[in-house]
Amino acid sequence: MGWGIARLQGKMARMLAYLALQLAIIGLCLLARQVSPPLPPAALKLQGVELQDDTGQFHPVTLPDFRPVPVEPLGVAVYRVTFERTPSQDLTPWAIFVPRFTTSLELSVNGVVIHDTRRNVLNRRPERNISAMATIPAKLLQDGKNELTLRLLIWGPLSGYLDSVYAGPEAQLAPVHERRTLLFETLPLLMIAGQATLGGILGMIWLSRRNDHSYGLLALAMLIGFAQYLVSMPAPPQTLGLVGAAVVAQAPLILHFIVRFIGRQPSPWLLLTFLPPIAIAMAGFLGRHDFLRSIFLPLGPPAIGVCIILVCLLLGRAALQGNRNALILGMAFSVMLGCALSDILTFTRIIPGERLFIGWLGYWGVLMVIGSWLTWRFVQALNDADSFADRLVRQVTQAEEKLRANFAREEERARAVALSLERTRLMRDLHDGLGGQLVSIVALSERSGDTTNSIGDAARAALRDLRLVIDAMEEIDGDLMLALGSWRERISGQLRAHRMNLGWSVRTPGGLPVYPGLRPRHVIQLIRLLDEAVTNAIKHSSATTVTITIETLADESGVSRGHIRVDDNGHGFSPETEPLTTSGQGRGLLNMKKRAALCGVALSISSQSTGTSVALTLPDDFPEAFQAS
Amino acid sequence: MEVQTGKADRISVLIVEDDAPTRQRIADGLSDASAFDVSQAGTLAETHRLLAAGYPNVLLTDLQLPDGHGMDLIREVRQRSQATEIMVISILGDEESVISAILLGANGYLLKDALLADIADTVRDLMRGHSPISASIARFIVKRTQGAKDPAARSDLNTAKLTAREIDILWGIAKGFSYSDIADYLGISRQTVPGYIKNIYRKLEVNTRGEAVFEAVQQGLIKL
Repeated sequence: MGWGIARLQGKMARMLAYLALQLAIIGLCLLARQVSPPLPPAALKLQGVELQDDTGQFHPVTLPDFRPVPVEPLGVAVYRVTFERTPSQDLTPWAIFVPRFTTSLELSVNGVVIHDTRRNVLNRRPERNISAMATIPAKLLQDGKNELTLRLLIWGPLSGYLDSVYAGPEAQLAPVHERRTLLFETLPLLMIAGQATLGGILGMIWLSRRNDHSYGLLALAMLIGFAQYLVSMPAPPQTLGLVGAAVVAQAPLILHFIVRFIGRQPSPWLLLTFLPPIAIAMAGFLGRHDFLRSIFLPLGPPAIGVCIILVCLLLGRAALQGNRNALILGMAFSVMLGCALSDILTFTRIIPGERLFIGWLGYWGVLMVIGSWLTWRFVQALNDADSFADRLVRQVTQAEEKLRANFAREEERARAVALSLERTRLMRDLHDGLGGQLVSIVALSERSGDTTNSIGDAARAALRDLRLVIDAMEEIDGDLMLALGSWRERISGQLRAHRMNLGWSVRTPGGLPVYPGLRPRHVIQLIRLLDEAVTNAIKHSSATTVTITIETLADESGVSRGHIRVDDNGHGFSPETEPLTTSGQGRGLLNMKKRAALCGVALSISSQSTGTSVALTLPDDFPEAFQAS
Repeated sequence: MEVQTGKADRISVLIVEDDAPTRQRIADGLSDASAFDVSQAGTLAETHRLLAAGYPNVLLTDLQLPDGHGMDLIREVRQRSQATEIMVISILGDEESVISAILLGANGYLLKDALLADIADTVRDLMRGHSPISASIARFIVKRTQGAKDPAARSDLNTAKLTAREIDILWGIAKGFSYSDIADYLGISRQTVPGYIKNIYRKLEVNTRGEAVFEAVQQGLIKL
């Protein structure tokens, strides 16, 4: 129970904080409105203004003066005031300046019209805070007394208003007028133009992405607001009805936008808020100003008010539920509300000062903020989509690469399987045929008492070669040590048969580098080369020991190279005395050189009376194609 | 069945080989009558007749026999007599014949053209629990241990039971290092290395009792 109350209190406290925040914003807007726009020096303000009554008589009047809304479409109020010009000032141009009036003003000096604000069609609207300034032609100006006549032209829906009148040197008045024009004419024009652009962009976004209606609603509100801004007044009731409807219709559009923006579905009941603008537009088509006015006043402003209240409630509730978008929008709306409230207070003369309307400015400002926000959100979504697409492309590329690698691996494997099958087939063939026969020859040669055992040796050599061929066909992944391991076994048996010793020295841990380019054909050539070196030692050197040395050494350029050396302790031979082509040993040496050249191996053979040394320096990697010898 | 004990401490050896000169050659290698009690057979039928009298200490068998396959004989003897040491007589010492035989229970291999002195040494070593292994056989086994993690590369060669040390020893042998080098490098006694080999063979042995296992085993090997 207590917990429930505490929660309720917490909720209340949050609500109060939210309300206080909004009230503070509204208060700030009202305070900001109190900052006075620029005015000329008070000394230039004309005193003794008179107002003409219905009979044509002039009576003194205090400015600012308010005139009621005319019964006729157009009402006129005529003011008169005199001002003095001292002769010493005849060289400086003089001007008339009226900071604020409603709705239009015609200025005459000494009976000649010098300015009519109706000439600027965009300024013929009561809600625009325009000022009027007119330079008095020098010829018109007399020394001493001059008479200024102001005809105030009034049309609905607002009452007539004349704030104050200034006359004096143009140099003093013009800067004030320029600053006011910038503030109240150029700035609103820029804003409405920006709003039209933004509305167009949002509209195009909505047209290509119909699923998000919030864009369409905001675009419509902005474009309607832009269109009604361009309508000049006074205007026939049909046009006025449309303008009124356009002004009022923006409220339900914004309401629907807000509902969707904070992530809700608008209830169908909310569509009722569109009825007042429709009624106002229809009333305008009946063609009577008074009827339009009697429909607009009780329907238009209350409809806007209801929409504003609904928006505030919706935003407040959503913000309290933790919707950050709603909190930001709520504050933006309070700015708008503060500006509108300031207008109402100004119009009803509850707050003093010039009749300056800032409601539209606040509304446009908020719309621009929301519109920019939506555009930014859209661009963010595009960026997200882009990066998502990028990621997809990357993933697809990776998958493709993986697939290609898999495919290559699969091919490699298929090749390995094919090789293995071929090797198996060959092995079985050799087992069943040639291999068995060679073994029989070995056995028979031993039994026949062949003293030199040359037949047996030949058969054994053939068997060794068969084993080499089979052995070399298995993939060793570039690890030449694996091939040398098998070779060691083969020559150790061979040497033992001739009562010779085998020395085997691997000087570098790991032995030789790995050669990615090493293929079975290289292995066969290399091992045969080594075989021949060992066979030469057995046959011709009378050595007792053959030593194999394996090591990896850095050469002059710092590259690690594998070295294999076959040394015997025999009597050696002399290459000069043994022609390379005739004797068996000579032919063997030639063969070794050929094999070395095929594999890119540097071969060096040295021989002296203490033994022969065959040294192989292996290449960086084995050549893909056999090199020409 | 009990292993037929030879007279005194002699090692009873049964040679099964259809090629008479080769068979005689191996018998010559074991001609020391004080050490070996050799009997010979040229066919499976003959072998079975001899085995009926008792199982030898060592069985040396060829694979291609006129009336059957040596693999079936290896499997049969391994199942009936755990104490008999079995060696396959291989022409090339290739893994197809040797590993298949090991999978079925052989403890080693003997090359048909092995030196006569080596034949007797190999048999004696085998009786001491030292199985022979070649570099190419060791290479074949360790290469399968590398592929063992890939389930697609499953074969009948189950290397999962091998320890890291056993695999190290196999690598050393495959690369041509001597038992002493390997023992030094791994910090073990040189004498224990051959024992490791026998253990490796035991671990690779498949316990299959089905028929025609030889073909199945070979197919598994070829699958890599």
